[in-house]
Amino acid sequence: MLCQNCGKNDATVHLKRIVNGSAAEVHLCADCAYSLGYGDAFSGFGFGTGGLFADLFLKGENAAQLRCPGCGKTLDEVISGGLLGCAECYNTFYDKLVPTLRRLHGKSVHVGKRPNHPRGDRAAQLRRELDEAVARQDFELAARLRDEIGELTANGGDGQ
Amino acid sequence: MSAKWYLGTGAQNDVVVSTSVHIARNCAAYPFPGRLSLPDKLKVNDVVRAAVESIPDYSFRFSEMKTLSQAQVVSLAERHLVSPEFASSRDGRALLMTEDESVSIMLNEADHIRLQVMLPGFAPDEAYRTADTIDDLLSEKLEFAFDERLGYLSQDPTALGTGMKVSVVLHLPALVRTSQINSLITMVSRLGLSMRGSYGEGADAKGDMFRLSNTITLGISEHTAVENLKSITLQLAARERAAREEIFKSIATEDAIFRAYGVLKYARQMTTDEFMDLISLVRLGAVRGLIALDCATVEDLMVQMQPATISLSVDRPLDRAERDKLRAERVRQALL
Repeated sequence: MLCQNCGKNDATVHLKRIVNGSAAEVHLCADCAYSLGYGDAFSGFGFGTGGLFADLFLKGENAAQLRCPGCGKTLDEVISGGLLGCAECYNTFYDKLVPTLRRLHGKSVHVGKRPNHPRGDRAAQLRRELDEAVARQDFELAARLRDEIGELTANGGDGQ
Repeated sequence: MSAKWYLGTGAQNDVVVSTSVHIARNCAAYPFPGRLSLPDKLKVNDVVRAAVESIPDYSFRFSEMKTLSQAQVVSLAERHLVSPEFASSRDGRALLMTEDESVSIMLNEADHIRLQVMLPGFAPDEAYRTADTIDDLLSEKLEFAFDERLGYLSQDPTALGTGMKVSVVLHLPALVRTSQINSLITMVSRLGLSMRGSYGEGADAKGDMFRLSNTITLGISEHTAVENLKSITLQLAARERAAREEIFKSIATEDAIFRAYGVLKYARQMTTDEFMDLISLVRLGAVRGLIALDCATVEDLMVQMQPATISLSVDRPLDRAERDKLRAERVRQALL
């Protein structure tokens, strides 16, 4: 399918818009999507920028079979769909994602607000300790910390 | 119905129509919506709804999207309370909204939680403060998906980091008429912001209304994003005012404004596009003091005259011709 804006390139970005009282889909190439201001997840504030992300993804990686233990999504699926499946995906595919994130945002490290959930803070603290333990090659401690983080995140989120 | 947010008028409202802040959050315990089964979506709705309803000082109305008609859902999108994407598929999605529509929370759109705070005029600090407070209160009850390196996690990598977008809707009739708008759109895109038509985009922007927002969310703090947007907004507003001085040097501008006012007051049928073209000129005349009309009336009309929203105001479905006739009638009543 060709881009509805330029009529030249293949449409890889598919967006929902409201036209004359109903929801319609528009099909754009990545260039036109950018120039029309659809370059981010919130634009308009519509989404479906998956195709755009896929276009940005650095190709040539030979790790397409890598699979997220959390939700089962493969790197191949992430690249083709442009969407991650769960929070654990970001740990699994972190190294593969960072170059693309730099291209998207110019940076790849968060600055700004943090959640104030007590359990969230505890998990973050444990993750830092885990990283340190791994760096020291203290695998016994690392395994304990990993289990504890697993427990915290497995039953979290219900607010009880 | 109580007064809606857009019935107020705010600072800089000769150019800045409204300000909104969006925050995207996901619950750590569930996969992102794209990977979530329908029963799990309903569970997320319940969990988030309970947390939202525990927030003091706010009263939210909860609606499951599948219980609403197509026209009701599209009308919500026309009023910018939900995204077009949200309106296009209703299963497992829900909306929490305050009576004045200034705070709305989409559940199971691209993220479990999409919080929006919308205020009239130029109010980025105030809108962010409100959104931030609600986010803090929710975060005490819900564990959000968060990574020390990447910030708030979302299925869409373009929203990582703060997961926060701040935007203003700008009325830029003079920058459009002096053909400066396209180069300004290019300029803001180099500054990590985007500007596009608020109703329809590109050269097709209806009513000369444009939405300016930050696009980058990772590696930039909320405070910096808000400050950047404020500074660019004030620069654009100054340019628009300078361009207005230019176009008002010609009698043609004032003539076009009064002709538009005349058509709006007396026409018997009117399409949305024609209405948007004319109301833009009338808004320009009103803030200039040429026409005795307040911006709140203009903004209210812009919302109420959209196709699905106007259809909702009567009890039966309208075809296009009936809508155009009803639109002309409503506009005449509002302006008499």
